[in-house]
Amino acid sequence: MTVADALMLALGAIAVGSGVFVVTSAHLVRAGFYLVVSLGAIAGLYLVLGAELVAWVQILVYVGAVVVLLLFAVMLTRAPIGPSKDLDRPAAPAALIGGGVGLGLTVLLVDAFRWTEFELPPPGTGRRVGEQIFGAWVLPFEVLSILLLAALVGAIVLSRPDIGARPDPDAAARPDEPPPGPVDESAEVVARLQRIAARQSAAQERLRAQRAAEKVGGRLTHPDEIATQTATTREDVLKQKAHDVVFRAREAGPTLGQPDKTEISDSAARTIEGTSREIESRPIPDRPTRALPSGEAQDRAGNRALPKAPDQPGPDPDGEAT
Amino acid sequence: MHAVIPYVIAGLLFALGVYGVLRRRNAILVLMAVELMLNAVNLILVAADATIKSALGGVQPEAWAYPVPEPRAGAIFALFVIVLAAAEVGVGLAIVLQYYRLRRAVVLDEVALHEHDHERVTG
Repeated sequence: MTVADALMLALGAIAVGSGVFVVTSAHLVRAGFYLVVSLGAIAGLYLVLGAELVAWVQILVYVGAVVVLLLFAVMLTRAPIGPSKDLDRPAAPAALIGGGVGLGLTVLLVDAFRWTEFELPPPGTGRRVGEQIFGAWVLPFEVLSILLLAALVGAIVLSRPDIGARPDPDAAARPDEPPPGPVDESAEVVARLQRIAARQSAAQERLRAQRAAEKVGGRLTHPDEIATQTATTREDVLKQKAHDVVFRAREAGPTLGQPDKTEISDSAARTIEGTSREIESRPIPDRPTRALPSGEAQDRAGNRALPKAPDQPGPDPDGEAT
Repeated sequence: MHAVIPYVIAGLLFALGVYGVLRRRNAILVLMAVELMLNAVNLILVAADATIKSALGGVQPEAWAYPVPEPRAGAIFALFVIVLAAAEVGVGLAIVLQYYRLRRAVVLDEVALHEHDHERVTG
């Protein structure tokens, strides 16, 4: 009993034990995670047996990709979180056949190898395996790559409903029936959507009632029809305001082909060098702001038309720099 | 190293995989059990790679059997089986998801094999 034997026994116990949980657990997700433990223990067995590259590929491909794919499938099929009752068939025939296979294989292998000892070979490095793959086994390697490509294409074709679907021969018999959607919702999702819609309509109703109460209050303060008029034309006023903001800002903005007025004034101010006071008194060039109300936009447009108006005598960082 | 240990572990894992395939009704769990079986085969291959060569002490090696001086074909076969398992899981899960999309179930007992209905073109 060497260190390698002890390691292999421990890792094998972990692998077989978690394998038992994989095939008996009532939780789908737990079965996936026990599969991770089992495959990791098998990777440890590969390491003990000297197949280093296989161990790392096992961890990369199985634990990293295959189990994640299985868990994604568990999610996409909307498996329940808790234990599921109907995962299993009756256990007797499966246990009979599985136990028979296990007993037969164990007896066969124990009889074949007895308790004879072997010396472990030197651990295989990735270099040796790579030389072999691309030397002696290059044809199976290429065939395997074609197989991977075929599997990729096949998976895509399978999971797209619009590729390769034959037309329904009974479609002419019932033309008025709409085709079922590729994913139509289950009953609980439909119920949840209906609840959300009901809540939203209730909230809208409340808001409408609140607004009506406000309107009544406004009418009480203004007994004339001004209140209703403002209430009706409020939207128009807002629209007009938005129109003013958009188009006035566009008119006041720089047009193509003509230099901006602020640019002209800037260059004029920069030609006078040496008199920092002149530059200091220059107003800060305003940036084009689009989302202002119309009055302020007009104000800014006026500022831009008269850029040297000394209404903003703030200190200018550009002036200090020059 | 006693060679019987990895072989027996592999045999037990294969038996567990057979039991899982026969016992489970959920298609994803059946695929997990198939993974266990494939790993058992991989373990056999790697263990044979580590042990058989030293067992074949007095056997005269054939020239065609060893195209390269130091064969480690077991590890390479194990790599090939891993690739096959990855492809199998990809296509198998695509089939399972498509079946779930059509029938809202992944229970293998209720797959109607005898009735043949054409799939409909869904926009």
